[in-house]
Amino acid sequence: MTKLTVLIFAVMAAVFLGVVAYDLARAKKTHTQFHIKHCAVGFLMIGPAVVLSFVFIMLPILFSLGYAFTDYQLLTPDKVKFIGFDNIADIFKEIFSGGELLTAIKNTAIFVVCVVPLQIIMALGLALFCSRKVRGAAIFKVCFFAPVVISLTVTSYLWLTILDPAETGLFNSLLGAFGIPPQDFLRDPDTAMLWIVLLSAWQGCGYQMLIFLSGLTNIRSDLYEAARLDGANAWKRFVNITVPGLKSSVLYITITVFIGACRIMVQPMLMTGYQEHTVTLSYFMYKQGYDFGFVGKSSAVALLMTIFIGLITFIQKKVLSEK
Amino acid sequence: MKKKKVLLDGSGNEITVVKKSSKRVVVNVIYYTCGAVLSLFFLFPLIYMLAVSTKSDASIAASAGTLEMFLPDFKNIGSMFSNYKKLFVEYEIGKYALNSIRYAIIVIVLNVIINGLAGYVLAKFRIPGKKFFTFIILFLIVVPVETSIVPLYMIVKQLLNIKGTASILGIILPATISVFNMFLFMQFFQGIPKDYEEAARMDGAGNLAIFFKIILPLSKPIVATVAVFCFIGVWNDYLWPTMILVNYPDLMPIQSALTTIQSIEGITTGEVMASLVITSIPIFIVYVAAQKYIVQGFGTAGLKV
Amino acid sequence: MNKILKIIGAVACVAVVASGIPAWVSGAEDGESSGGNTVVSVMFHVSTSSKEGQAYKKRIDAFNEHYKEQKIKAQATYIPRTSGSSANETALTAMKSEGTLPDIITFDSPKCSYYASKDILYNITNMVSDVKDEFIASSINYYEDKIYGLPVQESSAGFYYNKNLFRQAGISDKEISEYGDETPWTYTEFLSVCERLSSVCSTSAVDMRFKATTDETAPYLLYPFVYASGGEFCSKDGNTVTGFFDSDETASAFGFFKTLLDKKYSSYTVDANDFYNGKVGMFLSSGWTIPDLRNKNYTAFPGGEGWGLLPYPYEAEGKAASATGSWSFGITDNHHKDKTAARMLLRWLVTDESSQVITEHTGMISAKKAVNEGRYADGSPEAMLLKQLATTGKSRPAMVGYAVLSTTFNQVINDLEKSSDIKSFLTEKARTMQATIKDY
Repeated sequence: MTKLTVLIFAVMAAVFLGVVAYDLARAKKTHTQFHIKHCAVGFLMIGPAVVLSFVFIMLPILFSLGYAFTDYQLLTPDKVKFIGFDNIADIFKEIFSGGELLTAIKNTAIFVVCVVPLQIIMALGLALFCSRKVRGAAIFKVCFFAPVVISLTVTSYLWLTILDPAETGLFNSLLGAFGIPPQDFLRDPDTAMLWIVLLSAWQGCGYQMLIFLSGLTNIRSDLYEAARLDGANAWKRFVNITVPGLKSSVLYITITVFIGACRIMVQPMLMTGYQEHTVTLSYFMYKQGYDFGFVGKSSAVALLMTIFIGLITFIQKKVLSEK
Repeated sequence: MKKKKVLLDGSGNEITVVKKSSKRVVVNVIYYTCGAVLSLFFLFPLIYMLAVSTKSDASIAASAGTLEMFLPDFKNIGSMFSNYKKLFVEYEIGKYALNSIRYAIIVIVLNVIINGLAGYVLAKFRIPGKKFFTFIILFLIVVPVETSIVPLYMIVKQLLNIKGTASILGIILPATISVFNMFLFMQFFQGIPKDYEEAARMDGAGNLAIFFKIILPLSKPIVATVAVFCFIGVWNDYLWPTMILVNYPDLMPIQSALTTIQSIEGITTGEVMASLVITSIPIFIVYVAAQKYIVQGFGTAGLKV
Repeated sequence: MNKILKIIGAVACVAVVASGIPAWVSGAEDGESSGGNTVVSVMFHVSTSSKEGQAYKKRIDAFNEHYKEQKIKAQATYIPRTSGSSANETALTAMKSEGTLPDIITFDSPKCSYYASKDILYNITNMVSDVKDEFIASSINYYEDKIYGLPVQESSAGFYYNKNLFRQAGISDKEISEYGDETPWTYTEFLSVCERLSSVCSTSAVDMRFKATTDETAPYLLYPFVYASGGEFCSKDGNTVTGFFDSDETASAFGFFKTLLDKKYSSYTVDANDFYNGKVGMFLSSGWTIPDLRNKNYTAFPGGEGWGLLPYPYEAEGKAASATGSWSFGITDNHHKDKTAARMLLRWLVTDESSQVITEHTGMISAKKAVNEGRYADGSPEAMLLKQLATTGKSRPAMVGYAVLSTTFNQVINDLEKSSDIKSFLTEKARTMQATIKDY
């Protein structure tokens, strides 16, 4: 372990020195200068953060991603063998032969595609609702925010009770009042994922609402005044002032919600268990790695997922910031 | 259609009520009704938790599927708080809550200083290799960390050789660093005009002095935001502290103690819910108290990814 | 004013932190530095605030007292096992990679094969061969015919029934007593009881726990039916499931579940509260439910009365089977090559005396025959479970990949209603399972 750490450190240091050399060379070309004392102080100040994040964030992540190239079995860490790209090849084989992994990818994709727009729209709606300058809006804000602070376990458990398939379940007794027979929401492959989407958006949107609210406070109110004097109606004001003003918030929220959505695991785990219609990528990883013990395979999935999320984030950033 | 209009009215414009027309009253009525319904929609888990936490298993079973499940146990009003009493007296939850608060205070102070300094350098300094650091930060935000707990354990135990009661360092040190907070600091500091620093520099202040005396006081919103995140992180973490403090149950933070309590055979649902209320309430209070700052913090940071 | 508040706040923070420092610096000794003693370490899966944990603590203290002269000292850690992400198992994994596995661990019995095959558990056949007959036979943990674990407690399950509803359905006490008698009841008799119950139960006749497919609950409660139908889960060595999990007999057990669903005798929608509220006639559950029903004063069972317990039914051509398996003790294959002290502690923890103490604390059945002797009155639910264990108890399959089987079992139960052809459904699942377990 110590050896590996030193190796990783050496590689990182080499890359870093390379980047520094490049920066210095470019500085020479553009005739700008780095002040030595200024740089030394800078490095000293950033030093603790660099050391700590190397030891406690970087190393564990690199180790766990490194397992992707080994046959690491959870309980036999002493017998780890390097097997190159075998795990990754296996994964692609499983995807193309339509195995469980493909189902997991499909489910995750459905979840992401549904939850990202829904959560953003809900958050924006709530933010607009709360930004109305009347008495009581602050209280509403606190209420909308409440689910964010409650643990996923509790909300999952609670929604289980609400969606209980029995006639006496809360939703089913409501449906019963309209003469609709009881539904088994979470066991029905057509609806289960939608409920998980709903509950996730419901739980998460309060947080994004705060971010939107901060974006709204940043829009100068004289813009609205001017628009009103020009005779622009509410919809026009929304499209021409509010939306552009929220651009950076939208970009930020889209990216963070997207990354979070890609990692969804707890809700399906607690609400349906490991079932074909709700298993997601992270859940698949967890099951393979911690339950079945195939850490190598699990890490390979994590590695591919990281690359994928990174790529998409990069594209999102490019596309959204150009608009 | 009407609802949409209300929403749009809210998009940041000053509503100056000059005369109370009947139209405005109608709009207000609709607004508050919608608000109340929406609030209920978002609040009912809390209500449910509170209600169940006052009940015994038999009354929970009896109220299942009826509206009573959202109401406290009025039938046995005398024993309404017996679940809470048991948690505090028998399971000594207070002791563990205090542990959590201790860790949180230390983590908040260190986290703000360490990540703040790093964010400051990344925002304001011209040093070679800065792009490299920024790239690493963004990379680390994207990578899933769920699988790295076992390597982290090995690093703490083997590489750093942290043993004995020093194990609390194993809880505190990893929590003092957060790339996300570093990122928030960086964004926020970029928005502070250079003039402030330059004025201080004219007066002969050093870099550290500028950071602590000028930059941090100007950054109250982001400091509060980071502090809240730290508090929640420490307060909610349980798997990691449980593993690290295996031999020192008295030093465990609240969530570790609670999962321990929840795993006891024969614990009632009411007691579990009461314990969840106890853990949720402080976070709720912290959020409500700090939400003004969080809104400002995010706003001024500009959030350029 | 504001400044004063700030100062007060800062001082309070410092004070709170400072008050913790004594605890952080005291008791710095860790591990094996206890004055020339041989230390044997043990990790339990419950916390000391639970009754079971208190019992273990008592026995560890007694051990240390007893072996004081011989300078052997037991050191116990208690990491509770919680549902969801298990701190207990994660700690075990981390300790294994760190090389600091405790000498003795507790583990859930179906994990035995996995742990044994991955060199976590140590072969204790020779250490305990002289005492193994003192245990209820089905409770000992074997892997490849060698012993790897011994339990102190046993658990079993059965059908709790509502006496009142049975009476209303016209099922006489005499008929009931026959079902719990010499041989358990058959599927046919079970179905006939369900049919009569259906008319008086407001939800379903029986709660088969088909809903409990998110964890080990459904597999634990339902696996005996596969054996009772004459089926199997896997080959003897536990490495093959194709041809076993999809055999006709196994399919017939799942077919029986499907019959219960199709005839609306059971459903995915009933839950424990329905039984506690008197809406369901029978409720499949483990022995832990006995103290609940006695003490919690549920609506349908005021004063803890009005219920009874029936055994697992079986298919006439099959062989009766019932659920067994609780937590066991095993010695680990760790850095301590000398297992003498570990052997002493293990044997200490499973003595009749230890088992007696633990049974008294938890109210569970003991795994030791002598402890159970004459402990329960004839006709009590515990006596029923005990008899069932002795005559039909059959442990879950000894498979290295048991976790995969358990997951698949849950999936099958969950999708039972939708699948029209059970046999081909099982064949497909067996194939997927086989592809996964070959990697162990």
